[in-house]
Amino acid sequence: MVKKYGFVIDLRKCVACYGCQSSCRMENKMPMGVNRARVGIIDTGEYPNNHRFFLPVLCNHCDNPPCVKACPTPGATYKRDDGLVLVNEKLCIGCGYCVKACPYDARFINPSTMVADKCTYCAHRIAEGLEEPACVRNCIGHARYFGDMNDPNSEISRLLAENETEVLREGFGTKPNTYYIMDNRAKLLDVSGVDER
Amino acid sequence: MKISRRNFVKLSAATAAAAAFGAQSLSALTDKVNLDLQSGEEQELEDKFSGYDVKYTYDSYCPSECGLEVWTKDGKVEKIYGNYADPYNHGKMCGKGPLGAGLAYSLGRIKYPMMRVGARGEGKFKRVSWDEALDHIATKIVDIKKKHGGESIIVDTGDMTDTPPYYRMGRGMGAPHITEHGSICDTPRRFGPRVFIDGKRWEPDLMRPTLVRQSDGSLKEMGYDDLPLPKYIMYVGWNPFTATRIHYESRGTVTAQIKGCKVIVVDPAMCTTAAQATANGGMWVPILPGTDNHFLAAILRHILEKGYEDKAFIDEYCTGVEEFTSAFKSYWDKTDSSNGMKYFTMEWAADKTTLSKDKIVEIAEIIGTTKPGAICWGMNGVGHRYAGYIASMLGTAINVVMGNFEAPGGTIDCNQVRISKGGNAGGGFFNGREVTRTVNGKPVTGKQKELHMDEMSDWPAGWYDVVGDHPRRILEGIEIKYGPFKGYKYPIKARFEIGGNTVITGSATWKWQEMYAARDPETGEYKLELAVSIDSLLLENALYADVILPAAHYFERYGIADIYPSAPVAVMREPVIKPLGESKTQVEIMNAITKALYEHGDTDIDPNEFWLKYTHDDIFWNEVMEPTPGVKNVGEPLPYPNLPEGYKLLGTPDSLEAGRVTIDDEKKVIHGEPITMDWLRKNQGVAVWPMAWRRYKQAVKTGSGKIEFVWSKLEEENEKIKGGPRPYGFELLEKYTGDVWDEYPTTFFWYEPPYNPANPTYAATTEKYPFQVITARVHQGMTATYANPQQGETPCDSTWWPLNREFEAEVAEWVTVGNDGSEMPKGEIKVVNKRFRRGTYCVATCSMNPDDAKAYGVVTGDVVTIENMLGKTQKNVVLVTHTIRPGVLKLPFGAGGRFSPGVGTTYQQRDYTANVNEFVDPNLLTPIFGFPGYLDIQARIVAVEKPTFATI
Repeated sequence: MVKKYGFVIDLRKCVACYGCQSSCRMENKMPMGVNRARVGIIDTGEYPNNHRFFLPVLCNHCDNPPCVKACPTPGATYKRDDGLVLVNEKLCIGCGYCVKACPYDARFINPSTMVADKCTYCAHRIAEGLEEPACVRNCIGHARYFGDMNDPNSEISRLLAENETEVLREGFGTKPNTYYIMDNRAKLLDVSGVDER
Repeated sequence: MKISRRNFVKLSAATAAAAAFGAQSLSALTDKVNLDLQSGEEQELEDKFSGYDVKYTYDSYCPSECGLEVWTKDGKVEKIYGNYADPYNHGKMCGKGPLGAGLAYSLGRIKYPMMRVGARGEGKFKRVSWDEALDHIATKIVDIKKKHGGESIIVDTGDMTDTPPYYRMGRGMGAPHITEHGSICDTPRRFGPRVFIDGKRWEPDLMRPTLVRQSDGSLKEMGYDDLPLPKYIMYVGWNPFTATRIHYESRGTVTAQIKGCKVIVVDPAMCTTAAQATANGGMWVPILPGTDNHFLAAILRHILEKGYEDKAFIDEYCTGVEEFTSAFKSYWDKTDSSNGMKYFTMEWAADKTTLSKDKIVEIAEIIGTTKPGAICWGMNGVGHRYAGYIASMLGTAINVVMGNFEAPGGTIDCNQVRISKGGNAGGGFFNGREVTRTVNGKPVTGKQKELHMDEMSDWPAGWYDVVGDHPRRILEGIEIKYGPFKGYKYPIKARFEIGGNTVITGSATWKWQEMYAARDPETGEYKLELAVSIDSLLLENALYADVILPAAHYFERYGIADIYPSAPVAVMREPVIKPLGESKTQVEIMNAITKALYEHGDTDIDPNEFWLKYTHDDIFWNEVMEPTPGVKNVGEPLPYPNLPEGYKLLGTPDSLEAGRVTIDDEKKVIHGEPITMDWLRKNQGVAVWPMAWRRYKQAVKTGSGKIEFVWSKLEEENEKIKGGPRPYGFELLEKYTGDVWDEYPTTFFWYEPPYNPANPTYAATTEKYPFQVITARVHQGMTATYANPQQGETPCDSTWWPLNREFEAEVAEWVTVGNDGSEMPKGEIKVVNKRFRRGTYCVATCSMNPDDAKAYGVVTGDVVTIENMLGKTQKNVVLVTHTIRPGVLKLPFGAGGRFSPGVGTTYQQRDYTANVNEFVDPNLLTPIFGFPGYLDIQARIVAVEKPTFATI
């Protein structure tokens, strides 16, 4: 069966070390000022009943990717059969439409290449059989998981089956493939579907 | 099919083996490793990985020293991952490790020897040859030794575990005082473990996977699902998620929490660990800074009153408990005049800590009724406070009386179970050298170590050395007060500093500057005649050096890490790239300096003990591992049932496992095959010996062999000081607290924290200076790592926040060459002139509660001028945040006010960020270890600046 890659982030285990961001920079040779993987810090409430949450974010490799629709250059940004949304650097003209189209702020213009850039789920590693992006490889809290959602025996399929998960900005209809196992934040905030951004 | 993960893992494991026979390129390995690959796949593998070399080494980005898998290409570091063979970090890396190349290729790198041409501190140097630098050092040292002896030299070896060559060098040249960063980092935290069991740091039993002997005799790697975990963990002033000093506490704490462990974080600030705890059913306890002692005392009283203690454990494994508890209980009926309440009651603690009584009772009940569990205290509070000994003592006592010490899922003293290393390589035997000095006109012969500037003088129990007091000792000179040389006086004239930055970290910066600038009134020369900095980065310390020697970066040198695991682990460091410029490894520098001394006529130096013996770094490091692992074959389950119980284990895990040993029954030592650098190269750089619990027989190294509630360690010191003068620390104690000690306490003791609102003696200071300044490490920050510009994009703990003003700086950063997922990402590190927009880059940040901010009219981004109780003022940009309790300002240490251009982007922020150590009172040194009271700071806000067009 054809693969479908997905990503799970267990928010209960993120320790906000920024290992994902640093590992991505190292792996993908990212200049400063831009990041494919980031960690958001969200503060809510008032002392002493306040809370601080950590929200690692990356490209959702959506099934309905608005960035692909926004691209004026055929083939410059595309979705692969295995689910990956990628940029062809040779075709991209750096217009930035896709950057603006992404509701997750997951894209940017790389100041070195001057074309659109984003998380590739470390496609170069997948190409070598390493189905483990660098951010997952190094995650110290064991909060990040990657794999084939079509394989019922994969770790990610097991996690999705065993845990309640949420995706970011479901209402946009983008059908993201990065799933979050939540901590108690919905309960603590007494709201559901809080806008994390 | 392409290369599968399974194959890749095999491939990874095999590279170490390849290193042993010299073929380190992955492409050369394909036919040996991936025999089950289809034809054609080998070629594909070779194409993809062509030119990458993989080596296993370990980090020194921070003292966690995680095991690394480093990929290099064309002699440059390309990729950095955790090494799965090292159970400490188990294949993982925090936000620091992967950016190691940013440090190695930092613009602040020192690549050549340099000599000072301006005044000290001016930062003017000229490049010189190694010969010229060594000639200057040797001429000076030989002259100094002739006039004042080797004892007038200090060698401070900094903060890494790969410094035995510098110990050997220093001791070999006759210097008894070889110090390390450990003496200015959290010694009060270590007090309890040290006196109760001769240990150091107590951490929860969270390191998984770990090797455990099974009932069928086999050895199995067991994980989080297989073994008990703590049911509660209370971190007091300890933020493991940020410091990551004990790497496995990150994965261990969150995993335990999901499995039901209650995580309680006692900290005036909602640090990362506290934030995670509260989001997952744990607790943040925002205590008044400096009142951890009061909090823990009330918990211990509650436990004893309720009879929760594990009496069977106490009876069997402890001694002196009655004396301790009666000293503790002697306070119970006393009324504290400051609040009219009985000591250590819940009401009293609530009043002192400002926490609610109910909250303290709730926590005391959890600790008293839940097993297993762990109380762990750290450097964000207890470890860096003048009165931190007391919390450390109480934390240790509670863990022990509850029977959690060394219980599965309990608490482990990592220092007691980690490997032994060093042996003769460290040159300890040089300290036994006989020396003769003229004391009061008479020749006296004694041992080199009996001239020790701390233990035989002002700090008889300064077991960790007293680096924080170096400026005063250098300014005032040393008088030996105990032992055969009593009455002998000498000055300190030379100081080597390796990989440290005491100007920023070793108590008050201004005091260190005063010392470096001081001149001899008669000669007009600097009082400290020779300051040598050996480092890979140009930090503040180097600005005051006369000679700077370029040390190899951690990717370029050798070493053996022992770190803080819960079972014995040894990890090898070896170069993954060639040393940049003319930098040298530790063994090379030791050899070069001692050879220069010898050639200049220093008769203490024997060529056979240095450069003729250590012709390759491996020879030195093999010797370092002669006493490894050096732990006893004890505990449950017994690590080696095939070998005699209670005997000391030496040698490789495989030889011990197979019984390839010789047994010395007289000395009770089991000699396996020696562990060597080559053995480690064949085993992915790591040696792991089995875990066991209840290792009391090994873990308790006190005189009685039991957990001592009456401390023989300090009884010995009292013997030493008998008939001598009162130790200097006692004078300071009287000055700062009014408490009078005639000898070291040998069981429970109490004194109130200085410069603290809970202490009525300081009521006037509290009124004038209503804020307490607390400080903690930023995740990314050792003082050297701020030289990596990439760390400016990873915020942390409300104290490292993107609040920069616009600035421009040259940085060495990755420039993406090509990277669309179709091939290996390509990029190169280039020097780029970069503009950083306002609010995009992290700087040292002062966090402040919104109530306080309102009172002072402060909003986020304003710059406040803070004045401390000694009248020192500094500016810092503010983050207004609910993550800190009112009345407290929290600043990071080492992150602000950095005045060496070597720290690049961080240097650019020095005008509106504070070097928090400028606020430390350099005379506030703890009574036993002489540790600076880094967190005992009171302050007020004297000015608020709003951003203007000039500063935006």
